[in-house]
Amino acid sequence: MGAIEDPAILKNSVQSTGGVDKQFLAAPVKSAVDKFQLLPEFLKVRGLVKQHLESFNYFVKTEIKKIVRANNLVASRSDPSVYIRYTDVWIGKPSEIVDGVTDSLSPQKCRLGDKTYAAPIYVNIEYCNGSDSRMMMKKEVVIGRMPIMLRSLFCVLHGKDEDELAKLGECPLDPGGYFVVKGNEKVILIQEQLSKNRIIIDSDKKGCIQASVMSSTAMTKSKTIIRMEKEKIYLILNAFTSKVPIMLVMKAMGMETDQEVVQMLGRDPQYAALLLPSIEDCASLGVYTQHQALDFLDKKRKKSMSRFGKDDGALGVLRDIFIPNIPVREGNFHLKCVYVVVMLRRMMDAILNEDAMDDKDYVGNKRLELSGQLLALLFEDLFKSMNDTIKFTVDKILSKASRSSRFDISQHILKDSITNGLERSLSTGNWDVSRFKMHRKGITQIVTRLSFIGAFGAMTKISPQFEKSRKVSGPRALQPSQWGMLCPCDTPEGEACGLVKNLALMTHVTTDEEEGPIISLCCSLGVEDLSLLSGEELHSPDSFLVILNGLILGKHRRPMLFANGMRKLRRAGKVGDFVSIYVHEKQRCVYIASDGGRVCRPLVIADKGVSRIKHHHMKELKDGVRNFDSFLREGLLEYLDVNEENNALIALYEGEATNETTHIEIEPFTLLGACAGLIPYPHHNQSPRNTYQCAMGKQAMGNIAYNQLCRMDTLIYLLVYPQRPLLTTRTIELVRYDKLGAGQNATVAVMSYSGYDIEDAIVMNKSSLDRGFGRCIVMKKMSALYQKYDHACDQIVSPRKAQHDPEKIQILDNDGLASPGEIIRHQDIYLQKECPVNPNANSHPSQTQYRTSKQTYKGAEGEPAVVDRVALCSDKKQNLIVKFMIRHTRRPEVGDKFSSRHGQKGVCGTIVQQEDFPFSERGICPDLIMNPHGFPSRMTVGKMIELLGSKAGVSCGKFHYGSAFGEPSGHADKVEDISETLVKHGFCYNGKDFLYSGITGEPLQAYIFMGPIYYQKLKHMVLDKMHARGMGPRQLITRQPTEGRSRNGGLRVGEMERDCLIAYGTSNLIYERLMISSDPFEVQVCRKCGLLGYINYQTKTRVCSTCKTGDNISAMKLPYACKLLFQELQSMNIVPRLQLADS
Amino acid sequence: MEGATYQRFPKVKIRELKDDYVKFELRESDVSMANALRRVMIAEVPTIAIDLVEIEVNSSVLNDEFIAHRLGLIPLTSERAMSMRFSRDCDACDGDGQCEFCSVEFHLRAKCINDQTLDVTSKDLYSSDHTVVPVEFSDAGTGYENPEDQRGITIVKLRKGQELRLRAIARKGIGKDHAKWSPAATVTFMYEPEIHINEEMMETLSLEEKTSVIESSPTKVFALNPHTHQVEVVDPEAYTYDDEVLKKVESMGKPGLVEVYAKEDSFIFTVESTGAVKASQLVINAIDVLKQKLDAVRLLEDTVEADDQFGELGAHMRGG
Repeated sequence: MGAIEDPAILKNSVQSTGGVDKQFLAAPVKSAVDKFQLLPEFLKVRGLVKQHLESFNYFVKTEIKKIVRANNLVASRSDPSVYIRYTDVWIGKPSEIVDGVTDSLSPQKCRLGDKTYAAPIYVNIEYCNGSDSRMMMKKEVVIGRMPIMLRSLFCVLHGKDEDELAKLGECPLDPGGYFVVKGNEKVILIQEQLSKNRIIIDSDKKGCIQASVMSSTAMTKSKTIIRMEKEKIYLILNAFTSKVPIMLVMKAMGMETDQEVVQMLGRDPQYAALLLPSIEDCASLGVYTQHQALDFLDKKRKKSMSRFGKDDGALGVLRDIFIPNIPVREGNFHLKCVYVVVMLRRMMDAILNEDAMDDKDYVGNKRLELSGQLLALLFEDLFKSMNDTIKFTVDKILSKASRSSRFDISQHILKDSITNGLERSLSTGNWDVSRFKMHRKGITQIVTRLSFIGAFGAMTKISPQFEKSRKVSGPRALQPSQWGMLCPCDTPEGEACGLVKNLALMTHVTTDEEEGPIISLCCSLGVEDLSLLSGEELHSPDSFLVILNGLILGKHRRPMLFANGMRKLRRAGKVGDFVSIYVHEKQRCVYIASDGGRVCRPLVIADKGVSRIKHHHMKELKDGVRNFDSFLREGLLEYLDVNEENNALIALYEGEATNETTHIEIEPFTLLGACAGLIPYPHHNQSPRNTYQCAMGKQAMGNIAYNQLCRMDTLIYLLVYPQRPLLTTRTIELVRYDKLGAGQNATVAVMSYSGYDIEDAIVMNKSSLDRGFGRCIVMKKMSALYQKYDHACDQIVSPRKAQHDPEKIQILDNDGLASPGEIIRHQDIYLQKECPVNPNANSHPSQTQYRTSKQTYKGAEGEPAVVDRVALCSDKKQNLIVKFMIRHTRRPEVGDKFSSRHGQKGVCGTIVQQEDFPFSERGICPDLIMNPHGFPSRMTVGKMIELLGSKAGVSCGKFHYGSAFGEPSGHADKVEDISETLVKHGFCYNGKDFLYSGITGEPLQAYIFMGPIYYQKLKHMVLDKMHARGMGPRQLITRQPTEGRSRNGGLRVGEMERDCLIAYGTSNLIYERLMISSDPFEVQVCRKCGLLGYINYQTKTRVCSTCKTGDNISAMKLPYACKLLFQELQSMNIVPRLQLADS
Repeated sequence: MEGATYQRFPKVKIRELKDDYVKFELRESDVSMANALRRVMIAEVPTIAIDLVEIEVNSSVLNDEFIAHRLGLIPLTSERAMSMRFSRDCDACDGDGQCEFCSVEFHLRAKCINDQTLDVTSKDLYSSDHTVVPVEFSDAGTGYENPEDQRGITIVKLRKGQELRLRAIARKGIGKDHAKWSPAATVTFMYEPEIHINEEMMETLSLEEKTSVIESSPTKVFALNPHTHQVEVVDPEAYTYDDEVLKKVESMGKPGLVEVYAKEDSFIFTVESTGAVKASQLVINAIDVLKQKLDAVRLLEDTVEADDQFGELGAHMRGG
């Protein structure tokens, strides 16, 4: 078991043999090294949203420079000597320019002032205004403003400590990783995608096996498919009008002999046999030479594809659009040919053996696109567009014969297009980058600030590649490769179930890494270069192909040696930490990956099952001599991605390691994400319960952030007395949920009481509510605008001038705004201003006519709220914006929703006086009563253990732990230990108490399971939902009652309700509901023609406009919607006629 | 109202008496009586608590309702409460409940002027009536030996420049309306257990078996006499009716070794007061209130008066 046994413990056990120390024997064998301490260190270094920050930092530091360097020249088409060349680009500090003065920005300023937290993008330029003028330089030219991710490298919050953050009005516990755009916090969701530039073998709808490659280079993006259809193999490419025989493509690329292709495929006759029909096919077309093949392809080419300016015919297509990730140097197509052959071979492997098919849902075949990459894409597009616009305007000016002013190209750099483009995409979430054929919606999302953990959840959320409507189970299922990378619990219910995922606690998402050094390293480690290999040698049985990011580098004769060498280099820090080396035995390949978007996680390295981390390492960590990075640098830890995990044998605990073990997990509970980490003892619960809790934890009220009272969000829910859970987990401490809790520890008695507790309802103790249990504050924002017009503007006036109901304006101050601290009731006026009657009239200011306009508060009747704060700020056009925060304190009432941390939600069924509540002889009286029927079908054993643990916790004064799978490592208290504590403090070991009925005073028949459970109050409250109406507003066109609570709408008798009434035979009730109480209307019907007539109110006669008489008209009642239908039908040349019978 | 009388003459024996704690036995009575007493103590003994808060200045971090709620929950000394009027029944003031007969006024003025955080506590509340003041915890065992150390109940903490100024009206009320008016922190009773040990059977057990019987109870009820090696009942009241001993005895195959009965007519009460009323006074007040309520039953014939005095209760009794 444990590799290292402490001699002190051994001695101890020897001594105590006289009286057997049960407790010692029962104690778990201490794992040799407690590696838990690594986790806080990991999070200190990496942070919980490091993936976003890292990605964004990479973009603003490296990628933006690459993009500008790739497009650095903007030259006039007509006169190439007129040009701009960008020599450098960088991002400044977040700031804004107000009235020509540069003012630094802080995120909180932006949130409150509806601004965008952005920093200027500076460039250095060289430019020339024509052949006759000198080359000039300009430095620090602003080309636009880049929204800055909070806590990233260029954010003012970067590296600040708690005090400094507090000065900036920022919560130190806020993870960052989002943007502030126009005052809204926006997070760019992690996008899940299939990996780029990799061969994926799968089958299409008809069951044909195909090999596809999604190529993506800096220049182009394309999809190449090679498919086997009816024994023959074809290439499918967008640039060609139809499928093309593959052998023809090979010939077009210069591989004219069939033998060479077959040789490359390998000696095995099976491959040759599979290729034979394709060879014959090519021959039957009469194509034998490269020239013939190119001619053939040229005919199939889509002619509109000449977007690159120059048109190189079919060869150009093969070079630029056909697997463009494989470079063609000096017209040498050899690499591409090899690549196609490798694709063919893999495809044939799949045909010969079903197992060789790739699994699209396998996490190793997926890449996560993060904010940096998405922004880079957008920036590249906008930057190119800006350059195009410069080119266009310059050309236009140069084409003019006579110019009035001196021409200066540097004046034509526009900075608004980039700024606005970035801002628009971030605030709408629509990524419309036509240059890269990308049209995606819903990329960004507002950070949900309902609870602290909800904001966290938004940052780790992964949005799916497929649309949610697809009815396939594969992508929704839990993938074994998800282990440790993506949380198995945290996924929504319903249509997005299993598609939307969340990152686990320790997951890291890689960013791109330079390939050049890796290639040269590979070569020096003995990889034989591909271009030096003949076809025959390619698949020789004793060698493995070496593939870097989908690019075939060459082959190696001793793959394991090579892989181990590379790994050693990585552990020594010579290659990036996140480069993965993966030997695929079946495909006889060594895959090296350094691309961005792979998920990976840290693991402890073990040599022959012995962990490299020893006691002294952890001690040094505790003493602060070490940090997480030093563990990495010294090769004690390393990051493994999903593919490399396949080459590793990972032991859960050090004790379980065998000789073959290569790695050891740091802590098992890191396989869950932040949201699921809140659940105590999740491993004792039925799995869906944990999933439910993950969704509900995001709706729980509590503290949002330290700056919660300084925020002006549209809606804030706060708990008056939030508590930290008595039963915590390690994750709770790591994400600091114990500092910003969202719930209260309620003493729960599991028993039935009063009958108002059916269907998961809970019975609450009135005295507990009086004392503040479940009390919450709801703050709503209302805002108003003082508009500026050309010649007038809205005016602030004293409300006394206006003759309104004095009751309603009494909370207004002299400026016509409600003052903070005033109690505001339904229908009160909170803002009164004067608007110009005719804003566009160009009259003298003294003659402008004004009318008063007011805004009234619409809240619940009889529920007075309070004006919490009033804030004034100005928008972009310098209009005055007034924001009001209206605060409402609520105590729980019947129908409010509560939930424990185990997916057990319930509404408050009734509120009972304390004296009626059961009590124990110690005087303990529960805060709420939960029905025991909630347990058997839900199987939330974790909740029971939570109750036990919390009960032991309150009696011994120590927080107990319930981390997932934590019992062996001591991060979760065992039930036996808890029971012992309970007994020590005079409770029964099983947590049951002897209770007396509060109503009669007699003892209850059964022992009651009672103790504290952490309860969350959810945001769904009756006050916001209750609705009833008698008379009320009606819709304009149909005259039927309006719909929905917000419009004070009616309650619909729907189809099914109607069916019931019909079946029951209550015709008058139907008549009353569907007609009298809905939209009755009296119509005049002509008995002769059956059409509708009307009453002429002047002559007081009834007329049928078709028959032109009023002789045969009768009045009758009709639903107005019916009359409307008749008229609409008539407008479509359909005549509905009413035939009236005598009643 | 004819028929047998069930009148009994309960006996009360006080075991322990402190200012805020009393433990007594109630004998020769029944559950209904004991429970009625308990219920009245929790819900119907009147006290005085802050009911209306007018805030003049509040620049603290807590909002007005929050502070008002906290003020309401501060226990005030309420010896006067029994003789005070409910605001709703007060004739002296026309319904605004701000006269001396039915209310007490409090003022609070606090401002933090230095860099140290200022704790605003119940000590900062100034009462207009010296008999109604925030409760002090002078009793030993609260951890504050020195009265200077006593800080009272924290209302809010102020930082430099923050200020709190308010006027509060305290009124009489009962716990039924709001828990802040409940004078009782804990009121509970238990049946007095009667534990019989079958000595003969016990003698048949070995010493180890005896200790296992003793240890089976989570509370310390039994003990082994070190001299006679007999199992003795040391503290029958520590028994929590958990049946653990009985289960143990059963599993040993010796049913009847230990038997526990609850004495149906004697109760051990534990009363802890919030400090608003002395615990002993709380019990007496509860008995008074209970008496008044029973008077309502006697006033059955005089329905009008009953209605006046007991409102709905009187009507309810007439109906029942």
